[in-house]
Amino acid sequence: MAGKLRYAYYPGCVSQHMTKETNDTTRLVAGMLGIELHDMPKANCCGAGLLTDYDYPLYIALNARIFAEAEAMGMDIMTICSTCLMVMSTANRDLKKDRKLLDETNKVLAKIGLVYSGKTEVKQLLWVLAGDYGLENLKRQVKRPLDWLKVAPFYGCHSLRPSDALGFDDPEKPWSLEATIKALGAEPVEYRGKTKCCGFQVDLVAEKTAEKMTAVRLLDGKSRGANCFVTPCPFCHINLDNYQRLAEKAVDKKIEMPVFHLSQLVGLAMGLSPAAMGLGRHLVSPEKVVR
Amino acid sequence: MKIKFRIRRYNPADAETPEPYYQAYSVEVSEGMTVLEALLKIEEEEDPTLSFRKSCRSAICGSCAMTVNGFARLTCSLQILPEYKKMGEMTIEPLANYRPIKDLVVDMEPFWSKIDKVTPYLTPTEKSIGNPVTAEAQERIDDSQRCIMCGCCNAECNSLEIDGYFIGPAASAKAWRFVGDIREGQEGRRLAKLSEEHGVWDCVRCIHCTQYCPKDVKPLKQIELLRSAAMKEGILENPGAKHVAAMADSVERVGRLDEAAMTFKTLGFLRSLGMIPMGIKLELHGKMPHPYIRPQIDKIDEVRKVYEEIDRKAGRKPGKKKE
Repeated sequence: MAGKLRYAYYPGCVSQHMTKETNDTTRLVAGMLGIELHDMPKANCCGAGLLTDYDYPLYIALNARIFAEAEAMGMDIMTICSTCLMVMSTANRDLKKDRKLLDETNKVLAKIGLVYSGKTEVKQLLWVLAGDYGLENLKRQVKRPLDWLKVAPFYGCHSLRPSDALGFDDPEKPWSLEATIKALGAEPVEYRGKTKCCGFQVDLVAEKTAEKMTAVRLLDGKSRGANCFVTPCPFCHINLDNYQRLAEKAVDKKIEMPVFHLSQLVGLAMGLSPAAMGLGRHLVSPEKVVR
Repeated sequence: MKIKFRIRRYNPADAETPEPYYQAYSVEVSEGMTVLEALLKIEEEEDPTLSFRKSCRSAICGSCAMTVNGFARLTCSLQILPEYKKMGEMTIEPLANYRPIKDLVVDMEPFWSKIDKVTPYLTPTEKSIGNPVTAEAQERIDDSQRCIMCGCCNAECNSLEIDGYFIGPAASAKAWRFVGDIREGQEGRRLAKLSEEHGVWDCVRCIHCTQYCPKDVKPLKQIELLRSAAMKEGILENPGAKHVAAMADSVERVGRLDEAAMTFKTLGFLRSLGMIPMGIKLELHGKMPHPYIRPQIDKIDEVRKVYEEIDRKAGRKPGKKKE
């Protein structure tokens, strides 16, 4: 790790309320690891993909506004939401490769006194741990190896694809989440659904698809011997945990699978208490897999 | 070097082994050799009973798509050595999301019937047929025109995996090919149909289609273009468009996702009532969005100004002020 790690911190909308536990625990864990997170009080929503459907130039301009704030702070962005990661990275890819788009977008930003020169990089917590911070360094911070956990890594779509915009991990043979699980002393479980979709984007649009998809993913990991899931994405967490009972109903099967946010698993391995990790906020209690 | 190919075999007409099973073949592989070439070698030299589709060997005909190491690939354009080096195995299976007929051959009928559903030809009016096809007009539909109908995108589609009625990425990209054509005359009718249940709004945005399209058609981008066009056409009375409109409104109003308002506006009053039991569970765990206190970012006026500017640049009247 070269020098102090400092990031413009973009938790994303959903982790500021519904999945607040991952925002709180990320701040706690980052503080203990010596990773500086600097707030972005002006930052707007990235659009979660929905603004891409609404109006492409608007989506690009609003994301450029976020990048301009980080650029002025002199830092790269770290988010804890895979959808924010994908949406911002895709906008950033387009802005960086299309000079005309960047110029047109800057004309809009000029009206609010901002400029984006195309220097900001967007990362997520998983990449910061497995990349910038380094898993060897993380291992040294582990006080209580989680050696009783068989963890199904659930990347979710937006940590891996589109790879030409994201680039950090390999969408066919991802390694970062498994390697992080191992660094924390737990055992990663291999299953086909780990790179697939939780269904979140259609929760309110095609509920049946979403519920069944969530069930299929959870049952996939369970059938390979997982006693819990971990995900770097709060939207995946909402489907896998909040809506697990709906998923059970959709396929008429008991699943009962605790699901951790990545930040919580790191915190537990660093010796923090289940209460400090906000595990009481989960709908499926992780009590039986936490010691 | 010799590489082991693990191939899924299936022949329902075989009385002895009617169920699928895996068979291993050892193939001498040279630099630059494709997966399809290895299959042809197996068929010619070792096992003539192995069934698979192929024709042009040049990534034009779209016949030889299969699942390679878990992902849909066009086997004539996939080289073995880099794939093997990365994945550490060579497992060949029929395309997912289709019914296997024999070995690596699948039933493509559902693929074609979805393409048929989007009326895959121009339906111009007398006036629209005369619109000049400029370079810009052509560029709008360039991506969608590259499709060779190999079926990789539908095989990878996570939404189709769960809901076989979903129109799917291939037919959606084909639909944009005609909706986006400057000479088309029935865009409104097409977009209304695509906005129905199992239409373009049922895409889960898993991005598998765009990631695994061997011709860079970017089906997800075409789906986004169809959704945008449908909303601009005023086709707003469906959950997908309502969801997007609620998001656009929420960001303009408070700069962020307003979860309570989003849910209510997407579902409407009656369907929102159905969310009450879940809402109570969420509330008990401190997860229920607050119905009155709205989150708002600093300098929200900047965000509203961006909305105004975008409207102005597009020659639209700026949207109504939302205070």
